[in-house]
Amino acid sequence: MHGLFKWSRKWWPGVVPLVVFWAIAAWTSTVPLETDLAARSTAALKDTVLDKRRIAVAGRDVSFAADAFSEDGRRGAVASVEAVPGVRLVNDETRLIPEAKPFVWSAERDVVKVTLGGSAPLPASKGKLLEAARAGIGGVEVVDQMNLSRGAPPRFDNAALLLIDQIGKLKDGKITLSDTKVSLSGMARDLGGREAIAAALKNLPEGFSVAANEIKAPPYIFQAYKDPVAVTLTLTGYVPDNNVHAALATTATRKFFSEKVVDNLKASVGAPSGFAKAVMPALGALSRLSTGTLVVSDREVKLSGDAFYDAAAAQIRAGLGKDFPQGWQFKADISVKPAAAPVDATVCQQLFSELLSKGRIRFETGRATIDPDSAGLLDRLIETALRCPTANIEIAGHTDGDGEDSSNQALSEKRAQAVIDYLVKAGLPADRFTPMGYGSTQPVASNDSDEGRARNRRIDFVVR
Amino acid sequence: MAFLATFHWGWLLASLLLGLAMGWIAVVHRGKGVSKRTSRWLAVVAAALVAVAVARVIPGRPGYWLDLGLTMFALYLAGCAAGSWLRDWALSRSMPT
Repeated sequence: MHGLFKWSRKWWPGVVPLVVFWAIAAWTSTVPLETDLAARSTAALKDTVLDKRRIAVAGRDVSFAADAFSEDGRRGAVASVEAVPGVRLVNDETRLIPEAKPFVWSAERDVVKVTLGGSAPLPASKGKLLEAARAGIGGVEVVDQMNLSRGAPPRFDNAALLLIDQIGKLKDGKITLSDTKVSLSGMARDLGGREAIAAALKNLPEGFSVAANEIKAPPYIFQAYKDPVAVTLTLTGYVPDNNVHAALATTATRKFFSEKVVDNLKASVGAPSGFAKAVMPALGALSRLSTGTLVVSDREVKLSGDAFYDAAAAQIRAGLGKDFPQGWQFKADISVKPAAAPVDATVCQQLFSELLSKGRIRFETGRATIDPDSAGLLDRLIETALRCPTANIEIAGHTDGDGEDSSNQALSEKRAQAVIDYLVKAGLPADRFTPMGYGSTQPVASNDSDEGRARNRRIDFVVR
Repeated sequence: MAFLATFHWGWLLASLLLGLAMGWIAVVHRGKGVSKRTSRWLAVVAAALVAVAVARVIPGRPGYWLDLGLTMFALYLAGCAAGSWLRDWALSRSMPT
């Protein structure tokens, strides 16, 4: 042992080459060592969920910065790096992502753009939500403005995915999830969309509830356009069901005696109550116009167009709103068609015959009350009578062959008088018209068939 | 240390061999050795450096270099001790008493 001390005094010269070795070793090994440690630290963190992970190695010391999603996860990640062989010190620069209170997540749609905002709990759930939005809502741009935060309620992902499905049913609007409360606002894309969303919200995961649902349904639109040039009545938009559809089509053919009815109506839910009761009289008013458009949007009825003469315009303006169910509004923009050029008596007779060959003035069965469906035809007859102010006109009532002659005679006279009363109310001078009743004495068709009898029940306008 | 040994085994082996050689020579070397006083100082310095390394006071690359240097130095000393002892043993066998 004593020898070892003695000899050790003479060991120093070897230190010189040792220092040289050391310098070379330090010079060549530092960077490979750091690279190796960085690679192995990264590998050790492979299975931990972290955001903004950054690893820097100086010598054998690792600086490790990351955003963790839980305190356990953070400590676990630091421990994994510390456990990497060769690592001397870990400079722990990790932090927890901020906690959101309340935890708010939102999806906003602006027709062709969907913006996802607020907080998401994990990068994986953020990715899942974005993917769902892109896949579920075709043809829209998906913008990601989500931050990562702690404090999400349990089953957040399921709830958010369900809400993303709903944003697809909106035209525009916003869905907000604040902790476990869902608020919705905006406008549904289709009729029935609002109802579909309300039904889907019943499937929200346990614990979630709807705080406010202010989704509006798109307006329920029904439109009718009377085109005097093409001689058509075009019906578009929605009707509540097939029964109302059939009833509307029948009414339209009765009221529009000369026009062809083009029916493009679709049945859909979501009609305002009293739809049929409001639309039927509105169609009657449209039938009295020379050209016009009827737009029914939810409970608002807008009628615009040209009446045949002043009194008709006034009657339409005053009369229509009265028939409507409660809560319905009526807006009329009725002008009067410019008066047509006067014609002589012969032409007038031709025009009368032409009109009455297309349609007949109808009465209630066995009575002298004019059916409101004939208002359109009467307006056209009045307009014609105005064009030949000097002609005197015989209003001839006829009945079919059923019943007793005397009662038929009386009925035909009363009906002729009822038509004259109508004409006078419209502003024509009473002295131009003479009522005549012919009973069933002048049939134009056989009384043996229903069709023939219908043709025989008529009012003729005869210029004298 | 185990990591340093596997990563730098070449350099460490070189230090050990260098020590072995130096120890082998030192036994018959006639030159002047360091004085007792200096060697005590050197021992203190070495102990201080080891303490610093163990306490991990020096951060980053210099810390790593210190660890590397001390490891190499330790192996060098071990080599010297083994070399000197071997030489002494060889001499005592060849020399008749």
